[in-house]
This record gives sequence, C-alpha cells and structure tokens, in this order.
Amino acid sequence: MRVSTQGSFLQGLSAIQRLQEALDQTQRQIASGRRILKPSDDPIASARSIELRESIGRLEQFDRNAGIATNRLAQQESALTSVNNVLQRVRELALQANNGTQSNESRGQIAVEMRQLLDNLVQLANQRDGNGAYMFAGNLDDVVPVTRSAAGFQYNGDQGQRLIQVGQSRQVPDGDPGSDVFFRIRDGNGQFALAANAANAGTGVLGAGSVTDPTLWTPDQYTVTFTAPDTYEVTDSGGTVVATGSWMDGDNIRFNGIEFVLTGAPAAGDRFEVSPSRYQDMFTSVERLVDAVERSVVDSESRAALNNEINAGLLNLDQAIGNVVDMRTRVGSRLSVIEKQVDTNGGFSLILQETLAGIEDLDYAEALSRLSLEVTTLEAAQQSFVRTQQLSLFNFL
Amino acid sequence: MADLLNVSLTGMRAFQRALEVTSHNIANANTPGYSRQVAEFSTREGQGTGSGFVGSGTQISTVKRIYDSMLGQQLQSATTGLARFETFVGLAERIDSLLADPGTGLNAGLQSFFNAVQDLANDPASIPTRQALLGEADGLADRFRSLDARLSELDSEVNEKVRLAVDDINRLAEAIAEVNDKIALTAGIGQPPNDLLDERDRLILALSEQVDVSTAIQDDGAMNVFIGSGQPLVVGATVQGLTAQGSEFDPTRVGVAYQGVGGTTPLDTSLTGGTLGGLLDFRSSLLDPARQSLGQTAVAFANRFNAQHASGIDLRGNLGADFFAVSEPASLYSANNAGSGVVTAAFVDDSLTTGADYLLSFDGSAYSLTRADTGEAVAMSGSGTALDPFVADGLAIEVGGAPAAGDQVMIRTGTGLAGSLETVIGDAQAVAMAAPTRVVYDLGNTGDADIDYLGVADSADPNLLTTAVIEFTGPGTYSINGVGAFPYTDGQPITVNGTEVAISGAPAVGDRFTIEANFGAGGDNANGLLLAGIQSIGILEGGAISINDNYGRLVAEVGGATRQAQASAGAQAVLRQNAEDEVLATSAVNLDEEAAKLVRYQQAYQAVARVVSVANTLFDSLLSATRR
Repeated sequence: MRVSTQGSFLQGLSAIQRLQEALDQTQRQIASGRRILKPSDDPIASARSIELRESIGRLEQFDRNAGIATNRLAQQESALTSVNNVLQRVRELALQANNGTQSNESRGQIAVEMRQLLDNLVQLANQRDGNGAYMFAGNLDDVVPVTRSAAGFQYNGDQGQRLIQVGQSRQVPDGDPGSDVFFRIRDGNGQFALAANAANAGTGVLGAGSVTDPTLWTPDQYTVTFTAPDTYEVTDSGGTVVATGSWMDGDNIRFNGIEFVLTGAPAAGDRFEVSPSRYQDMFTSVERLVDAVERSVVDSESRAALNNEINAGLLNLDQAIGNVVDMRTRVGSRLSVIEKQVDTNGGFSLILQETLAGIEDLDYAEALSRLSLEVTTLEAAQQSFVRTQQLSLFNFL
Repeated sequence: MADLLNVSLTGMRAFQRALEVTSHNIANANTPGYSRQVAEFSTREGQGTGSGFVGSGTQISTVKRIYDSMLGQQLQSATTGLARFETFVGLAERIDSLLADPGTGLNAGLQSFFNAVQDLANDPASIPTRQALLGEADGLADRFRSLDARLSELDSEVNEKVRLAVDDINRLAEAIAEVNDKIALTAGIGQPPNDLLDERDRLILALSEQVDVSTAIQDDGAMNVFIGSGQPLVVGATVQGLTAQGSEFDPTRVGVAYQGVGGTTPLDTSLTGGTLGGLLDFRSSLLDPARQSLGQTAVAFANRFNAQHASGIDLRGNLGADFFAVSEPASLYSANNAGSGVVTAAFVDDSLTTGADYLLSFDGSAYSLTRADTGEAVAMSGSGTALDPFVADGLAIEVGGAPAAGDQVMIRTGTGLAGSLETVIGDAQAVAMAAPTRVVYDLGNTGDADIDYLGVADSADPNLLTTAVIEFTGPGTYSINGVGAFPYTDGQPITVNGTEVAISGAPAVGDRFTIEANFGAGGDNANGLLLAGIQSIGILEGGAISINDNYGRLVAEVGGATRQAQASAGAQAVLRQNAEDEVLATSAVNLDEEAAKLVRYQQAYQAVARVVSVANTLFDSLLSATRR
C-alpha cells in the first residue's frame, strides 16, 4: 500500500495519543484506588454502588441511634435499680415496724427514715438525664413529672414513649414514662385489696388473699360483716348478700372465687372491705405505710389496726417492687435487642462494604501490570515515530 | 535542425511543467484535503515525411488530481458519524461526572439530610440539633438547585452551540455555492480545476462535520447538497439556508428550521449526524430526560416531606408548616395560539408524576392531553373546572379563559422544577417532630385495657387537636365524648377526630381513655421517625421507587447512555481513521516520491537541454563547412 507523508505522520501521532489516553485512565485509577471513576465507566455498577453507599450510610446512622438508645436505657436501668433499693429498704423498715416488740417511739424513728426514703423516691422519679431532660416525664421532658399537692401525688408528664430506629425495621423505646413506672400500679394483690373498717372493735387482722377461681370472681365492692364473732356474711355493692359462713381463728374467708386469711378475734359488727384493685402510685403507697407506722398503739385493737394497715401497705409495696422489677426486665430485654441489632447491622454493613469494594475497588496487581505494559508500548511508539519521521530522501539530495 | 530545437523545446517545456506540478505537490504536502497532482505526458503528433513519421516531441496532456470519490464519500460519512458521537460524549460526560460526584451529586446530600432527621429524632427537643437539620435542609435544597443550574447551563450551551452550528452550516453552504460558481466557469476550458475541486471537497467534509448531508454532481460540474430529509441546501450557486429559532412554547429553546421556498420547516427530528445532530440528540435523549427526572425527584421529595411534616406538631404546638417549597408545573403557551385560554396545573399525587412535558390541545370543543416526548395520548378524568379539574398522571389541570380551536399549551412537570426547591422553614422550633395528638389512659381505670396510638389518619381534620374522651359505658360498649354506644372489639382501630387509636384488653365500665393535642411534648419523635422513613419508602411510580432509587436510576441511565455513546464514538473513530488512512494513502503527497520525481524530471530536462547543444554543434558544423 502506498504511504503518504502526511498519513504516516498522522497515524504515528494518533497512535501515541490513544496510548496516552489509556495510560492516563490507568494512572487515575491507580491514584484513586478506584476502578470506576465516572458512572459511564460501568453504569450498572455505579447505580449499585449508590444503593450500597446509601445502605451503608443508613446502617452507620442506625448504630449511632443504637448508641444513644443504649446510653439512655442504661441511665434508666440505674435509676430503676436505685428505686428498687429504696423500696426494698422501705419494705424492711415496714416489716420491722410491724413487729410487736416495737414501741411507739421506736416506730416513730423508723417512720422518720421512711419519710426520708419517700423524699428520695420522689427525687429519683424527678431526675434528669445527661441532656437535662426529665427521665420519667414521658415526652413532656421539660416538665417536673411528680409533684405533691393537697390531693396527693400527681403525675404531670405524658404517657408517651419515644422510639429509636436501630434497624431498618426495628424501633426500640429509649425509656418508659413515669406513669408506667411509678403510677400505674395495682393496689392489694393486683386483683383485690383488703381493708379493715376503722371502727372495728375486735382484733381481726387481715392476711394475704388470692383469687382461687377466676371464673367465679366478679370485681365489685364487697363487705364482710361479722354478725357474731364466729359468723359472717358478705354483701356486694348493691347490699345483696352473696355469701355467709362461720369462722374460727385461722380459717380463711372464701366467697365468689377468692379467699383471704383472717386471724385474731373480730367482734360482732366488725367489717372488712374487699374492693377490686385500683391504680395507686408508689409514693402514696409508701406514704400510707409511713402513716400506718406512725400510728400509736395503746391496746390490742389498735395493734390489730396497725397490723392491718401495715399488711395492706406491704402488699401495695410488693406490687410497686414487682412493677419496678418488670420495668428493669423490659429495659434489659431492650438493651439485648439493641445489642443483637447492632451485631446484625455490623455484619450486614461488612457484607455491603465487601460488595462495594468488589464493585469499585481497583485490582492493583492487574492495574500496575497494565500500567507497565502501556508505558512500554508508548515509549516504543514514541521512538519509532521519531525514527520514521527522520527518514527522507531529501536528506540525500 | 530547427525541428531538433523545437522537439527539445517541447521536452524542456513539458519537464518544466512537470517540475512545477511536483513542487506544487511538495509545497502542499501538509495541506489538509490536498490531493496530489500528476502531470500526464503524451507524445506530440509525428510529421509524415517520405521516410516515415518523425516524432515532434512531448507534451503534458493534463494535470490529473489523484482522488477516489468513493473513498471521499466514506470519509465524509465517517466524519459526520464521529462528530455526532464526539459532541454527544463531550456533553454527556459532563452530566455523568456531575451526577455521581460526591461533592455535587444528590445521594450524599440526601444521606446527610436524612441522617440529620434521625439525629433530631433521637433528641427532638434539642435546638442545636434542630438548627443542624435546617442547615442540612438548606444544603440539600442547594444541591438540587445547583444540579438543576448546571443542567440548565448545559441547556443554554446546547442552544448556543446549535446557533453556532447553524451559522457554520450556512457559511459553508455559501462557500460551496461560490466554488460551484467558479467550477462552472471553468467548464469551457476542458481541463479539471483540481484545486477548486479539492477546495469543494474540503468544504463538504467540513459541512459533514456539522451535519449529515448528501451530494449530487450536476452536468456543469456544480455539486448540489441536500440536508435532513432531502431539503436542498445548495443548488448550483444558490443557497437555501437554515435558521436557528426559538420553540413555539419556549422561545429560549433553540431549534433548527429550513428556510424553503414555501416557508420554514422545523428540522429538529430529521437532522442526524455531525455536531448539530449530536447536539439535538444529546438534548432530546439525555439532557431533557435528566432534567425531567431531577425535577420529578425534587417535587416528589419536597411534597412528600411537606405532607408528612404537616402531620406533626412543632415545639410551639402548631401543626407542621411547609418545610420545603417547590413550584407547581409550568404552563407554556404556544406562540401560535389564537385564543386566550389559561391553564393551571398542580401536583396532586406524587406517586404518579412522571416529570415529562405534556401538550394540552384544544380542538374547539374538547381538550386532549399527550406526552410531548412520545406523542402518546394520556387519558384525563374530570371536566377541567376548579371543582372538578382534569386529572391525569398525578396532575390536576384547570382550564379557563377563551381558547381557540387548535390552541396548545405545554405543561412542564419536571424540567427546571428542581431549581425552584428551597427550604422555607426558618425557625428551628417550627420543625414538627412530634405526633399532633397523644393518648392518655385514666389512672382511675379499673379494667385491664390499654390504649395504643396508631397515628394520624387525617391531618386535615379540623378537630384534630380537640380533646376527645372514649369512655366505656357498659360491658363491651363505649361512647365518644359522651355520645353513642359503639361496640368494643379488642384491638380494633378507632378513628376519632383524625387520630387513629386501638384499645386492647378488658376494659371495665367507667374506664376512660383520652385523645388530646400533644402540646409541650418536646421529647416526642413520632413524626420525626416517619419523616426519616421517607428516605427509604417507595414514593414514585405508584410507590415502587424511593427518592434515592429514582436518582440512582438517573445516574445509571446517564452513565449507560454516555458509555454507549463512548463505545459508538470509539467505533466511529476507527472507521474515520480507516477512511482517512485510505484517502491519504491514495491522495496525499509522499515526499520521497516527489523527491524522486524531482530528480527524474531534472535529469530529463538536462537531457533535452543537451539536445539543444547538439543542435547548436550541428549548426556550427554546417556554418564552418560553408565558410570559405
């Protein structure tokens, strides 16, 4: 084939340009460590890497969220532990006070400590977290959650719970409102509560009660009236007699699927109230217990009244302790859910990052050998270009 | 002896001419488009004598241009193809790197915006975190706007380049017509006007670089040039040029029209190849869809975020106001409209919007809607009034005024709208992270029932923030605000004043549950979680495609189109290289060859010059013989 001077020049030049272009691309890939520099280098992989980056970014955010939730739940857990300790101490003191060997004075001293514990409890309920927000006010986190008025203890927060997104489809509450922790506690045994009438003349002391047959139990206000020291009748809120029976010391009173222990010697006309459980906050429970401990005992009747009130108070306190334990269990299970989710997120993120690296990252071994081949080729092309361009017949004319 | 002199003279004249041709070749060795020329020698007619015919020397019958028109055509079509793809690739690569760059692309902005939403959901009362969210929102809106601005700049650049290409084409057409004229004048001479022919081929090649043309040679040697679907651009010495003109709907959008005898004809769709073809192709197949898709993403994002924001309550106890602002679809009226119809379109359903341009046409009695890009008819429901607007593809279209038959309006639902996106919430307290309502169980309840907050069913309910009480009035029945006796089903959702709740368990008679405005709940993040969820939920195309997916799709489409064009440009470059090599191999000058010819003609010249001295010697001999 005929070769023109211009043709050989242009061809040599364009070959060098092409090689330079390829070398430039390789050089950029090596400098950035990435195989894909622009989406057009591999459009499908680029779209995939956008998705992967988004997923990885989201997982990182979930981990940050989980850290915050864990931190808050740990704070709540420690607060609940303190609450539990206070309640346990109150319980110990109440048991001490219930002992017949205690004098009015010694019970007075016990009551002083119990009142301090009550203040402690209120402080714990009103504590703030690291950000200065009230821990137990629900979502109204700038409102003092527990205050005291003439009407008793009040909850000023709301019942809301904040959820934290710790996984693509997992949200975990980062706390519990004070209403659930301190206020929404059933009194009595959780089903019904017992109380002796203040005007009782005998020494009947109420013990523990339970529902033996839930199918027969209808929540209502019942009154057990001793018609004689050894017989009683039970009336419901409408005054209808629902049961009668005879009783001797140590016998349980049974009716409508429930039973409870009664000891001592009730007098004729003494009454004992059975009411369905209601919500009673733990502050009120503790306060009533302290009030009971402060009662002065002058005779066996007033001792019976003391025992009755302390027994009832202890039942309420046990409900409160049970509730706190429940709450701690919930917090613990949330913490373990978060931990598992963080593990899952981490594993998932690792897989995604490996995939991303496989898509985007450069195979250095391949790129470097490509680079040296391209450099060699370019050098050869440059040399041969210079050599051939020097050839001319005019050199010899 | 005189004959001898004459014969040698013809040789001297011919070789001098041949040396001239050779030196012309040497001089033009680097002239682009130059075809080497060859002097063709022939013998002069002999003189008949008694002793036979005696030759009378040599002559140059013609100077020939070495040119293969088939190869020329090949080069022309490869050039037009290469110019088209190179123009396309050059522009496409700019969008390509713009969209995926972490500094300018949308995905990084979306990610950090939604991270800020989540951070705020973790600590909704924190003012610094709220400020940070507003900052991220501004950053994201800015990304949308600057992406749109960059695409819009590209659009202006395309417009400008179309104008330049049209100018170039007209200028080249004029030049071709001029050369045609000169060539026709030389027709009488009977020899080919080599350098004029080269000039014309060069002009045709330059024209092919701008646009695909076809040519035909007339009898007088003039070349006719045709463009588009056969419109004559050059006929002999006359030119019918192109004009760059604004579109009937958008004067800033430059299109190409042919100025024929019977008026102007739009040529946008029939022009292929060359820079102009590449520009028009880039605009319609890549830039327009990219701008539309970006607008669609911006509108869906802003409107969906606003809708969710309106379903929450802010730190001041107000329902969420607009967080972002984005324009409604633009109505562009045709410059040819005779009537005064007014068309107002609004987005009503983000899941159905397409971002496309639509044409609403009035035929004198009824309106019809078509896609501007495909021409596909789009079915509309409704009657076009304010109360009952036309509804199609997620748009509500209201028509008014007095349109004339044949009037058309273009409705743009994507292009440019990303540029209108801005953050309008300026106050950190006004970010609505909390649910608007909350539920409260009464601490005096004796039953074992609990109430769950399911969410807002209707944030537009006028009584949304009014307190409502659900009270159990009998076994298994409840009243709302003291009214009614509704049967209770465990766990079944109940909607009161736009709030959806569910009561589960065993309520006792007299149990009360309250639904009230969620005032003061700085710690609530219920709406914040839903706002954060917008990142990953499907919104577009009937809820199948998330915001991020839609953007990823745009990146993949642009990347794919760019890659395809790059591959085509590469293939065209090889074709063009081959065609050029062949043309050069045939027509271009080889200096060694010319050097050899130089030597050869020089020697031949010296030889015939020697004949003159022989004739001189002969003449001298004769003179001395007769001297006495």
